[in-house]
Amino acid sequence: MTFEEQIARREFLKKLGLASATTLGLGGPRAWGNTSRTKHPEAKADSCILIWLAGGMASPDTFDPKRYLPFERGLEVEKILSTFPAIDSSVDNIKLTQGMEQIAGVMDRGTLIRSAVQPDLGHILHSRHQYHWHTGYVPPLTVAAPHIGAWMAKVLGPKNPVIPPFINIGQRLEGVGEKEELKAFTTGGFFGSEFGPMNLPYPDDAVRSVQPPKGMEPGRFADRYKHYRKLIDKNPNRELMSDYQQESMLRSLESAHRLLKSDEKKAFDLTLEPKDSLERYDTGRFGRGCLLARRLVEEGARFVEVTTEYIPFKHWDTHENGHTTVQRLKQEVDQPIAQLILDLEARGLLDRTLVIVASEFSRDMMIEGVPGSNAKDQSRAKTEKLQEMKHYGLHRHFTGGTSVAMFGGGVKKGFLYGKTADERPLLAVENPISVEDLHATIFTAMGISPKTAFDVEKRPFYATKDGKGKAVMDLFA
Amino acid sequence: MVAQTCAGAAAEIDFAHEVVPLLQTHCVECHGGDEAEGGFSMNTRALVLEAKVLEPGNPDDSILMELVISDDEDELMPPPDKNKPGLSGKEIDVLKRWIAAGVPWEPGFTFAKDRYEPPLKPRKVDLPPARDGRTHPIDRILDTSMAEAKVTPPGPATDQAFLRRATLDVVGLLPTSEELDAFMADSSPDKRAQLIDRLLDDDIGYADHWLTTWNDLLRNDYTGTGFITGGRKQITSWLYDSLRQNKPYDQFVRELIAPKPEAAGFINGIQWRGDVNASQTRDIQFSQNISQVFLGINMKCASCHDSFIDRWTLKEAYNLAAVFAESPLELNRCDKPTGEVATPKWIFPELGEIDPNASKPERLEQLAALMTHPENGRFARTIVNRIWERLMGRGIVHPVDAMDTKPWNEDLLDHLAVQFAEDGYDLRKLIGYIMTSEAYQARTVMLESEPGEDYVYAGPIAKRMSAEQLIDSIWQLTGTHPGKADAAVNRTIKAEKKQDSEHPFANVPIKAKWIWHKGDVGTKSQLRQSFQLKSLPHEARLLATCDNAFEMKINGKMVAKSEDWKQPVTLNVTPFLKKGDNLVEVAAEMFGGSAGMIAQIDMLSESGDRGLLITDQSWEARPPKGQWAAARELGPHGASPWGKVLNPKEAAAATSPTPPVRAALVKTDFLMRSLGRPNRDQVVTSRPGELTTLQAIDLSNGDILAGYLGAGARKLVKEGKDGEELITWLYRNALSRKPTTDELAALAPIAGDGTNPIAVEDILWMVVMLPEFQIIR
Repeated sequence: MTFEEQIARREFLKKLGLASATTLGLGGPRAWGNTSRTKHPEAKADSCILIWLAGGMASPDTFDPKRYLPFERGLEVEKILSTFPAIDSSVDNIKLTQGMEQIAGVMDRGTLIRSAVQPDLGHILHSRHQYHWHTGYVPPLTVAAPHIGAWMAKVLGPKNPVIPPFINIGQRLEGVGEKEELKAFTTGGFFGSEFGPMNLPYPDDAVRSVQPPKGMEPGRFADRYKHYRKLIDKNPNRELMSDYQQESMLRSLESAHRLLKSDEKKAFDLTLEPKDSLERYDTGRFGRGCLLARRLVEEGARFVEVTTEYIPFKHWDTHENGHTTVQRLKQEVDQPIAQLILDLEARGLLDRTLVIVASEFSRDMMIEGVPGSNAKDQSRAKTEKLQEMKHYGLHRHFTGGTSVAMFGGGVKKGFLYGKTADERPLLAVENPISVEDLHATIFTAMGISPKTAFDVEKRPFYATKDGKGKAVMDLFA
Repeated sequence: MVAQTCAGAAAEIDFAHEVVPLLQTHCVECHGGDEAEGGFSMNTRALVLEAKVLEPGNPDDSILMELVISDDEDELMPPPDKNKPGLSGKEIDVLKRWIAAGVPWEPGFTFAKDRYEPPLKPRKVDLPPARDGRTHPIDRILDTSMAEAKVTPPGPATDQAFLRRATLDVVGLLPTSEELDAFMADSSPDKRAQLIDRLLDDDIGYADHWLTTWNDLLRNDYTGTGFITGGRKQITSWLYDSLRQNKPYDQFVRELIAPKPEAAGFINGIQWRGDVNASQTRDIQFSQNISQVFLGINMKCASCHDSFIDRWTLKEAYNLAAVFAESPLELNRCDKPTGEVATPKWIFPELGEIDPNASKPERLEQLAALMTHPENGRFARTIVNRIWERLMGRGIVHPVDAMDTKPWNEDLLDHLAVQFAEDGYDLRKLIGYIMTSEAYQARTVMLESEPGEDYVYAGPIAKRMSAEQLIDSIWQLTGTHPGKADAAVNRTIKAEKKQDSEHPFANVPIKAKWIWHKGDVGTKSQLRQSFQLKSLPHEARLLATCDNAFEMKINGKMVAKSEDWKQPVTLNVTPFLKKGDNLVEVAAEMFGGSAGMIAQIDMLSESGDRGLLITDQSWEARPPKGQWAAARELGPHGASPWGKVLNPKEAAAATSPTPPVRAALVKTDFLMRSLGRPNRDQVVTSRPGELTTLQAIDLSNGDILAGYLGAGARKLVKEGKDGEELITWLYRNALSRKPTTDELAALAPIAGDGTNPIAVEDILWMVVMLPEFQIIR
């Protein structure tokens, strides 16, 4: 048998292992095929927090230090691999980069993947890679793919029935560039909006989402609903009360008001956090987002995404002046991410909460995409030799080797997985892991079979592309 | 093929008698028919080969052989836990010989189940006799089937319920309390039919409402993925005009398939930056979208591999795509090139062929003709089914995109399709035809759960208001319509239906001249005139047109837009004029041929004095970025080539130039998105039927809705109604009925004397949150 045949054989065996899907959710599309036979793996985690460093976090400047050269006028840029020196972490064989001292301190609680890879889509576009990362599918598609959080909401349902199962913190969907592209994957997709995100772009305002509308006293809000229920009782068309459409509408209004008057809604209110604790997170909007995520998970949120926010050419989308920008970003993310891990641990929640730190791809000083790609060079600070500070940084999108950190949720502690080359091109040279397999790993941790499928227009639509994502079981303890 | 070396394996193999029974016994339960466990189906030879589980001519290198003899329980096929006996030694030998012989297969044989194959041709249905004097053909068919199923036909809906349902279904708005009173007071026996006619006659209301359905179906939006890079084009103006004019559906579809530039956005799909999956190129999007939208055929499976679930093949999907493709199109199977090149072909060759050597525009013309061919019954059935679903709550074939599925009543579907074609593919007539049946006018059925595949018709099903219907209704009650539409649509009320020889302007002569700027004609001209008014006219009417298009502002406000010089704008412009200095500005454009602009404003004061403003050489004109200079007069009204295009007998629209802006005409917002208005990156043919918890949160505490209700309450309070009057007004306008004594008693204490806007706002919320408000019965 040739090597290709062996691969084909393995693929086929993998496919035959496919059992059909099941669902706990109600409404929306039906599970594909015979629902009784999907074997979901045993869940290692009940909640998931995705920390999304949107815009393309350069691994060599963060989780995967390479040869460092400080800024020096006239320095040939192709000699530079990293613009930050390496630092030690709490794990012997893991080094991070300067400015990540706090995360380095908690690396012994998690696993670092250095070999995530992304496909070459011909033209690097954040929105397409973000769509891919968040749904497991490369757009465009003939159906609207659900976000990974929507899959958890659909298959697992809410952990605490009053807390919406899919919460998205920090990303505005209006008034920012590429907003339509962001909306395309920030969605329940074909599952419908019941499984879509509750969007909380501003952590400080999160409480507003569970409060009466602006200017309405809580008493008036509660009374309004009470009177409403009475009015329903007085409706002359009593016989319609068991009509399923009417019933579902009243049930949804009831759950909405249950959340809005629940104790759990306090989780949304950052002003209730003790001052010293708030300060430990408070590096800005992102840091407060991490705090909000912790509070929500404590009250039983299923899936929470917290992002530094994607805005074209802002934040991690460093097309120029990368070093200075990343230096500032590290000040924003290092402390709160580490604090989140520590707080979850202190509350005994880390073991059952999977925390993922990821970005759509990495960056490189020289290479756009991967070597040999036709992708257009999008650096805004092209130069052969460093002339000014704005030239200093990793300004090209790199898809050949990206870091992902995972904490809790059954992953190994203090573990390093995968490796990138020491010299350019900094490709993943050991254990490359695709978006599909990464998703399969996350789903597996959450107790969802990567082969779970739903019926869309009479076709199966799988949790991982074609049901083929394969969990990296090596990552689990 | 390489000669067999494997001794003994070359013996003749009988596919039908040896292989089929073996596969039938051991394999196809999980890998045939509707099943494709692990994505592997043995329905056809192509599918078997595609899976690469066997190597034709080479059993020893075939995975399938390994699997049937494996001693690993996890690999063994059939799986031990299936309680199936493994293959016998003899059977293993058959399998081996079959593979060795190159996997022979009976041409055309498939393990796929006998599927329902919808008939292609239209079928005229012999109508059963009417029962109980219910003579409408729809009722004759449905009453017969209900009698067979021992279902009692539902009684008629009340007049109030009918009025509300019909108004929401046709124009997407609530009937006002005045309309309610008039309808209830009307004692004519055909008042329901009259109402239907009246509603269908409302060109703007109809277009405003049905635009939502068509935007969803044709993937048209005012903002969204792809616009930023020019990878996508709107068809809004064309679509709106087509709805407004009630363009026959066959012509409508021909204009979409073989389009002029203004309608090309649909077939051109979305061009994504970078590389896309082979099944997502524009060519394949074309194949998928026209199949789905116009025929209810799902080409999405077949655009990657031969479909497992219906008869469509990869080749058919690509051949259809090749009609659109600019250059030879290579078939890709599961994103891998096959080396085979597609031939432009239509999927029902019985109706005719496409000339593969014709140019792309010719091929599209041919396809458009074949799609709308009178013998293509599937074309008419698909749309009548969609319309039936919109009006009756559930398709005759359901879901509406699965037109390969058997309808629950073939006679009904076929009758409607033939009737629709005979009526000239007239969509409004079709809607009216359904609405005039007793079936439509019946009480909705009460359903304890969502109907499934065992659905039996028992009457119309209630429908949830779309996001747009709900927002429009709320705007209607609260008077909070936005001032401006985002959609580029022409909603000016044309005067052709409002000829009035008694009108004070009816006999004024047209003195205006055709004008343009001097010098090189170019394609665009800017024209302006300032003038003084000593007093505000009581009435001022604009008559204007331009060869080919113009936009006019008066005092900075856009008053008119037109792209059809043969349809002059007739408009009451009184509200735009002011005492003192006034400025009229025109941006004129010529698409080719002659260029000229003509406009006349007639004014009448309270005391009967007349005023006149005309285009002539006293206007200033310039090409874009040129110097202002006196306009060039091209000729008087009536001059060649235009003739007498302005008609003074056309009276202007009474007060406002256009009806209030509707939800379908503005970009989506947080609230509408929450309520299910889709991102139109894909074709969408149905909206979510149930209100979700997140939507309920947005409706309970969202600022957008609270803003509408608050503003509405403040307006209502100013009208000086007392509490009871206000509640009654609200019930009558929102629910088309008076509140019951109990309801009044529940709300009256909250409303108090009707002067507290907060209390009124709360009552507004309670009423619009009633299922009775949001579910159309």
